[in-house]
Amino acid sequence: MKVKEYNIVIAGVGGQGVLTAANILGWAALRAGYKVRMGEVHGMSQRFGSVVSYVRFGEEVYGSMVPEGKGDVILGFEPVEALRYINHLRQGGMVVVNTKPIVPVQVSMGKARYPEIDEIKKIVEEDFRGKWIGFNAEELAIKAGHVVTTNTVLIGALTQIPEFPLDAEHVREVIRLSVPPKAVDMNMKAFDLGIEAAKEILGL
Amino acid sequence: MAKVTDMVLWDKPGEKVLLLGNQAIARGALEANIAVYAAYPGTPSSELTDTMAIVAKKAGVYMEYSTNEKVAFETALAAAWSGLRAMTAMKHVGLNVAADTFLSSVGMGVEGGFVIMVADDPSMWSSQNEQDTRVYAKFANVPVLEPSSPHEAKEMTKYAFELSEKFKHFVILRTTTRTSHARGDVVLGELPEEIKAGKRKFGKFKKDPNRFVDVPANARKFHPIILEKIEKIREEFNDMPFNWIEGDESAKVGIIAPGLAYAYVKEALHWLGVENVKVLKLGTPFPVPYGLLEKFMDGLEKVLIVEELEPVVEEQVKTWAYDRGLRIPIHGKDLVPRVYEMTTRRAVTAIAKFLGIDVPLDYRELDAKYNKALEIVPPRPPSLCPACPHRNSFYAIKKATRARGIYPSDIGCYTLGLLPPLNAVDTTVAMGGSIGIAHGLEIAQHGSLSEEQRKKEKKVIVATIGDSTFYHTGLPALANAIYNRSNVLIVVLDNLVTAMTGDQPNPSTGQTPHGMGKRIPIEDVAKAMGADFVEVVDPYDIKKTYEVMKKALEVEGVSVVVSRQVCALYKIGQMRRRGEKWPIYYVDEEACTGCKVCINAYGCPAIYWDEEKRQARIEPSMCWGCGGCAQICPFGAFKPVEEGEE
Ligand code: SF4
Ligand code: SF4
Repeated sequence: MKVKEYNIVIAGVGGQGVLTAANILGWAALRAGYKVRMGEVHGMSQRFGSVVSYVRFGEEVYGSMVPEGKGDVILGFEPVEALRYINHLRQGGMVVVNTKPIVPVQVSMGKARYPEIDEIKKIVEEDFRGKWIGFNAEELAIKAGHVVTTNTVLIGALTQIPEFPLDAEHVREVIRLSVPPKAVDMNMKAFDLGIEAAKEILGL
Repeated sequence: MAKVTDMVLWDKPGEKVLLLGNQAIARGALEANIAVYAAYPGTPSSELTDTMAIVAKKAGVYMEYSTNEKVAFETALAAAWSGLRAMTAMKHVGLNVAADTFLSSVGMGVEGGFVIMVADDPSMWSSQNEQDTRVYAKFANVPVLEPSSPHEAKEMTKYAFELSEKFKHFVILRTTTRTSHARGDVVLGELPEEIKAGKRKFGKFKKDPNRFVDVPANARKFHPIILEKIEKIREEFNDMPFNWIEGDESAKVGIIAPGLAYAYVKEALHWLGVENVKVLKLGTPFPVPYGLLEKFMDGLEKVLIVEELEPVVEEQVKTWAYDRGLRIPIHGKDLVPRVYEMTTRRAVTAIAKFLGIDVPLDYRELDAKYNKALEIVPPRPPSLCPACPHRNSFYAIKKATRARGIYPSDIGCYTLGLLPPLNAVDTTVAMGGSIGIAHGLEIAQHGSLSEEQRKKEKKVIVATIGDSTFYHTGLPALANAIYNRSNVLIVVLDNLVTAMTGDQPNPSTGQTPHGMGKRIPIEDVAKAMGADFVEVVDPYDIKKTYEVMKKALEVEGVSVVVSRQVCALYKIGQMRRRGEKWPIYYVDEEACTGCKVCINAYGCPAIYWDEEKRQARIEPSMCWGCGGCAQICPFGAFKPVEEGEE
């Protein structure tokens, strides 16, 4: 069954491949016959700052940004970044997140504090009534062959959440077509590791 | 999945592809059989130019990265005078640079279609100000087309050329960040034979000094002609394909939604579940077509105009209504904020208030929860990349001036030198502004001081400017500073690429998208202009860079130091593509004393603080191996790893 509207917010740090992940999901949705709108950041903010990309698809989508309180999923490439965009999550929405932190310079300089993962999780679950699917995706990516596949691990996990409207195999196909030929195997492995991780957490 | 740039040239009419708004516009220009394209990159317009750069040769289009928006404007304008279809693109502030030519030449009109794409940046995601191009357009009496989706952006581009040719008038295609940087499904149309064959088109310029020479006698004739044209275009817009009325015919309330605001209004109405409203979708915020407006207003008891930034449509509608004696409430900026970008939340809130209904979400509660969550979220502003050569230049400048200088800077990645720990940017105004400001500061600070006092005060002024910016508008300012015997140090941060907007080439690289142009070394220009001291340094050698800065500061007059090293992001990107490895560094735990110099004075984002061990650490996935940290650590704690990464 086709969804009317499905909203994904992808949050991370510039250079982590947020845009690439968004593109993969956008293409998968387009190939599934949906109307697609995506919003993304360019320019200065891409330089190791906080970045966010929106992927929206369905039969009834217009703007390129996911409105506050309307996100079905927040795909966090970094724990603090997932929390930074938490206002976009709808009640009962999912937060799929890589728990490996990237510590901002301000924290190293002693001008700010990096929160515990449990603090973040608590806010997501209690204040925002979200479901938390957190795991160290970077570790799995390294296992698959390289850190750069962290986004593939996360996309794999994303396809496992309840009622996700895109078929995991279709998403896999788009990844296969979009990564350089010599990186295909590594990415397929990363995708599988992401699927396994999510299944384990969700008890599937 | 094909590459985007291939899709832009696909000969597959009817195919549905996912394109960025800017790429969709490039496709539209190709479908319109464009012949000449010239632009200077500027976020959020850059990808249009970059896409044209890649496809131009194959499509037989002449394309160039010009040195600034004014030059680009003139290049394209002359082509349009010669009967060719031509286009230029810029960000909103770029129009300020081109404004002199723009406003002076509008009366001359064009022969071939001439489209000026201007990308506004509401909320200033990547800009120094918030500016509504529609106000400029109104000032110049040039029509504005504003798309509401990527597909419409493509279609409108095509139409814009036709409109321009029909009225021999300029046409502005205005986007905002959220149209330029939105991706959406776009249905490809037909490509003209000439584009498919990649045939370069040439025009003919017919001399007509009465038209193309702006002496007062001629110029006097232009203004009434412009006004006449704009009223004719207003008529034309009554039934152009991007303006329409929709919704409940018999509704008593109406909403006017220009450009992208239409998408937000649709979304808001949908969310609110409101059906008994009439909507005027406006693809032409200026001039507002009065005939269509009349039809829309018929039977309405109140109206809301949902538009981003300035009340451009609102003022036209209110003036029209007043002249008609129409006395119904017309709302706009009283319900929709005038600053920052439109969002669904803003549209929903405004419409709910207008209709006297509830918003679908308790925003107050959401804000409270969100603010609480943000309390534990540390800030993460963008930063200079690991291995960025600018970090070293700033580090050396700070050291050479003992942090007591004044540091005017400019527009580019290096503006990020503003942030701690570098704090090496005191002013940034506009492209090329650093040199002019430096000169002004010098006069203001030192003009009244005696030589002696001056030596004692030692408030030196060090301006920083990038290579592309130097050629954009730095040149006249440099000439002025030298000519007027200023006493400043100008450091040109030459990373051989226009990095912030996506690695476009410029005169300092000599590259063009189609092969080698002619390289113009910055030091040669500075010498030819008569700078009192000129030297080139490699900022990867921090000590040497520092020494040259010191030397330059001793010199009375204008010193120019060209700090040249290729942009790290660009270099690493190239290396990755070629499958090459680079060395990475690590912290020797024996040697690190925890002095924090690397963090508190240098600030490479790959270096972080290990709280437990109270030592610096390097995140290996972020280190790009420049060795800068090894040069600044007083204890030699940073060392290269034998095995390279990647
Ligand atoms: S893109 Fe290049 S110039 Fe810009 S911050 Fe990164 S390394 Fe420096
Ligand atoms: S070598 Fe040092 S300064 Fe250079 S990128 Fe790596 S950690 Fe940063």
